[in-house]
Order: sequence, then structure tokens, then C-alpha cells
Amino acid sequence: MNKTALRMEDSHAGSVCILSIGGRIDSANAADLLDRLNGLFSSGEKTILLDFKEVLYLTSAAFRVLLVVTDEAERNEARVVLCGLAGQARELFEMGGLLEAFTVHGSREDALGRL
Amino acid sequence: MPLPQTTHLIIRNDVTELPALTSAMERVAAEHGMPEKSLFQLQVALDEVVSNVIKYAWPEGGTHEIEIHIAARHDGVEVEIIDDGRMFDPHDAPQRDKPQAAQRPRPGGLGLQMTKQLVDRIGYTRLGNRNHTTLTKLCALGPPGSGRTTT
Repeated sequence: MNKTALRMEDSHAGSVCILSIGGRIDSANAADLLDRLNGLFSSGEKTILLDFKEVLYLTSAAFRVLLVVTDEAERNEARVVLCGLAGQARELFEMGGLLEAFTVHGSREDALGRL
Repeated sequence: MPLPQTTHLIIRNDVTELPALTSAMERVAAEHGMPEKSLFQLQVALDEVVSNVIKYAWPEGGTHEIEIHIAARHDGVEVEIIDDGRMFDPHDAPQRDKPQAAQRPRPGGLGLQMTKQLVDRIGYTRLGNRNHTTLTKLCALGPPGSGRTTT
């Protein structure tokens, strides 16, 4: 597995489910992210914090998943929150005019302090 | 081998084939010392363009081939994507929908809007029944073997 392959790992901090994402999110693997998030919501998670700290880059396929899942969460009284956006990943959010579309906190610690 | 140096590959019109392209780009970048940021930006643009071809070029479905040439030059990398699907000039793509006030933006048109910002040039020609789309990312490349991963 190379260093840009998509990695996902979930953990908990109180009632918050944290999904740490690493590598690239693109057309080939965005469906894996969608499946993982749908699985977490199906298992009853209400707040999912997506930590992008290790994400190298993401394409519009990833943004599509994030928009769909965020909308879906709101309809089900759940929420998706983002943190750890830095470097190229942050620039891509800015380029797509999408930073304002999501709830974005700084570091994971900042986010957990506010949730 | 001196620059320019070209890598060719053919993939089928299926998103599961995209990792082959991603890996080929990573190999070219490592071999020629392409800066990581330039590589990532070109990877995002390529994913947008090739996934669009996969999704929209053949409305009738079926298995088709997409031919890709990656040319490493002294002043950057140019990737040519060739398909025999329906005509599509990325310059004619509709503008992205303006988000309504207090509404989450829609993803339609996002990929091409980002592509235009990520590469230095987008070229298009229709030759015979084939689309030739080129993406050019300018950056300084070293001689083959100068990539960091080979040290």
C-alpha cells in the first residue's frame, strides 16, 4: 500500500465519533468514505468528527460525499464536523469555495473542546 | 534518457482503473523530482477530467478504452487524455450553479472549476472521432532519477 492510499480509522471521545482520514480521497475511493460514514451513522453515531490532518489531497468526488453526508446528517438530527484541515487539503476547500459549507474547527483538540 | 520522456497507459472506462493512472503519475513525479504540491494539483485535475470521461463520454454504456500519455519535460508535465466518446470541450462546460443564500453549495460543475485553477493550461482538440484533452502543469523538473525517492 503506498503512502497516498486512503486510510480511515475511527475512535471515540465521549459521545463524539472521530474518523481520522489519511492519504488521498478521489473518484476511485470516495465511495469507501461514503460507505464508512453511512455505516457509522447506521450504527447510531450522532456526531462524527472528520479529522483531515493526514489527508494529502481530495477531489470533487470527496466534496460530493461530504456535502451529501452533511445534508443527510442534518435531516436525521446528527452532524458532521471537520477539523485538521491544513496545507493542500485546506487550499482545495478554499478553491472550491467550500470552507463555509461545513462546520470546520482547527485542531482535533479545538473541535472536541467545542462539541 | 533525456527529457522529454513520455509514459503511455490505457485504462478502461471504470473508476476502479483510476489507481493505475494515479500510480503512473506518482512514478513519473518521483523519477523526475516533480514538487509534491504540483503533483497533487495535477492528480486532482486529472481525477476530475478522467472521471468525467468515464461518467459522461459513453451514454450508451459498454466497455471503452481511454488512452493516456504523460510527458515529462524540463518545464513541467503535460498529460494527454484521448477517448472516442461524445465530443466534450472542457472550455464549453457550463458555469457552476450559484449557491442560493443560506443553502449549502451544490457539487455540480465543481470539478471543472477546480481543474481550471489547478493546472496552467487546458487544451482540447477533436481529431476524427476522438477527444484529445491536455492538462499542463508547469514546474521545474530535474533529469531522470533526480527525484527524492531515489536518493
